[in-house]
Amino acid sequence: MKHDPRLIAAAVVLAVVLLAAGPAFLPPFYVRVGQLMLYSAGLGLAWAILGGFAGYASFGHSAFIGIGAFAAGLVESRYSGLPPVLLLPLGLAAGGLACAILSAAIAYPILRLRGTFFAIAMLGVSHVGAEVTNNIDFFQGALGLNFPPLAPADMDPAAFYYELFLAGALSILLISWLIRRSRFGAGLLSIREDEDTARMLGVPTERYKRVAFVVSAVLTGLMGVIYAHSLGYITTESVYRDDTNLSLIVYSLLGGMGTLFGPVIGAGLLVFITQVILGRLLDFHLFATGLLLVLLILMAPGGVNGLLNRKRRPA
Amino acid sequence: MSLLEVRGLSKNFRGLAAISDVSFAIAEGSITSIIGPNGAGKSTMFNLITGYLAPTAGEVRFRDRRITGLATNRIAELGVARAFQIARPFRDLSVFDNVRIGALFGKAGRRDVEAATRRAMELASIAHLATQPASALTVGQLRHLEVARAIATRADLLLADEPCAGLNPTETAAMIDVLRQVRKNGVTVVLVEHDMPSVMEVSDRLLVLDAGRLIAEGPPPVVANDPKVIAAYLGTPDAA
Repeated sequence: MKHDPRLIAAAVVLAVVLLAAGPAFLPPFYVRVGQLMLYSAGLGLAWAILGGFAGYASFGHSAFIGIGAFAAGLVESRYSGLPPVLLLPLGLAAGGLACAILSAAIAYPILRLRGTFFAIAMLGVSHVGAEVTNNIDFFQGALGLNFPPLAPADMDPAAFYYELFLAGALSILLISWLIRRSRFGAGLLSIREDEDTARMLGVPTERYKRVAFVVSAVLTGLMGVIYAHSLGYITTESVYRDDTNLSLIVYSLLGGMGTLFGPVIGAGLLVFITQVILGRLLDFHLFATGLLLVLLILMAPGGVNGLLNRKRRPA
Repeated sequence: MSLLEVRGLSKNFRGLAAISDVSFAIAEGSITSIIGPNGAGKSTMFNLITGYLAPTAGEVRFRDRRITGLATNRIAELGVARAFQIARPFRDLSVFDNVRIGALFGKAGRRDVEAATRRAMELASIAHLATQPASALTVGQLRHLEVARAIATRADLLLADEPCAGLNPTETAAMIDVLRQVRKNGVTVVLVEHDMPSVMEVSDRLLVLDAGRLIAEGPPPVVANDPKVIAAYLGTPDAA
């Protein structure tokens, strides 16, 4: 399928403008739903750089949300006198750096595990992170951390964070797209398909996996920093969440594993289902997510994308 | 100078000696076949050359450089490619994208990736299948894909593991033709193959392995009449 590149560029610009203008015409409830969708889409995209492209499905990426959020919070509280314009970049730098260092440190041992073993090891990482944050006073996980308000006085904070999440999700989408088109991206796909064969063809599989892991962790951490600010106050439980660990997998499964827009479609759908359709049944969310996961794996392993492709190409 | 040199190579799996003190050299531009009964160590030999297994003793040299101990992807970058007996395509990718992975990596680097991909597909006569998903290919076509992907890396040495196994006579003839084309393009070929008529027809030299030992080597007609080789395949009269 070849389209006129100018037409695509115009459509992209139009979509971005429409999304950015969302808070201007959406009712407050849907601005919050939009926030959650964009946050989830960003996380889903970051997860998929490792899980979707390279096939290393992590079941513990909330570790990086937590590490990013707490690193940012601790650094920002030390420099709380700075103007808000400088605080957010400082927090992002601290959160991103913390995730980079930690993910690089565990990359070598943990990426020797494959499939389910890797997924469960990552679950362990997120639980260890949560325990450490909760039980070592320095991290203030049990006590909680305050984040200074960042939104300009004349702007609705909900709209402000909506735009921040949008910027984050779009940046990660752009990075994913660039990776997908690159030699690195082709290498990751070959790792997902058959790691031993990839290595036999000269793909530096160990290095590529590590880079994908660190990139995915850092981007997840950056979204976590924005999320922590949007909450204003966090404890361990608000960022190291097992339902996030689960949802990140479901986004890709629902939208189409390994596809560029899969996590975006999946995040949008799942947030819509849990927040809007099941909005009054808050306790029901995790159950619904789990049920959806089982149904997906049984009935539509290719996700929404796979279903559409099957319709298009009956084979 | 020989392209590939194997010196005193041994591989033990616990007590079992899969390869025992094997030495040989492969001349540049030749087609050499490694033959021998099942379990003689042919596939193990390939695994040792490509770095998939580490030898117990001995070394492998490529272009007079020791490659034993290097990572598999480093050996591929130096110009050694392998086509698997049981085809291992990237199933979710198209034929073109499969071959393109070879062209992007391997020895090729990133020069003229599209051209290298097309040339390799033409050489292996699968250019017409470019847009097909690899999962839709027949066994014969998958073998061609294996060869195309290996050639796309611009390897100097192709190790083909039973490329004709399970193919019908027409498909076998097509595969032998592809291997000849590959050699004509300057790639040295080492073949593990059971189909004796093809082996006799296409090979410049034969290496015969039996129970991990090299028992004979030379031009096909000489080796085929070697009593040791006949004994390895059919057993000796007094043993029977």
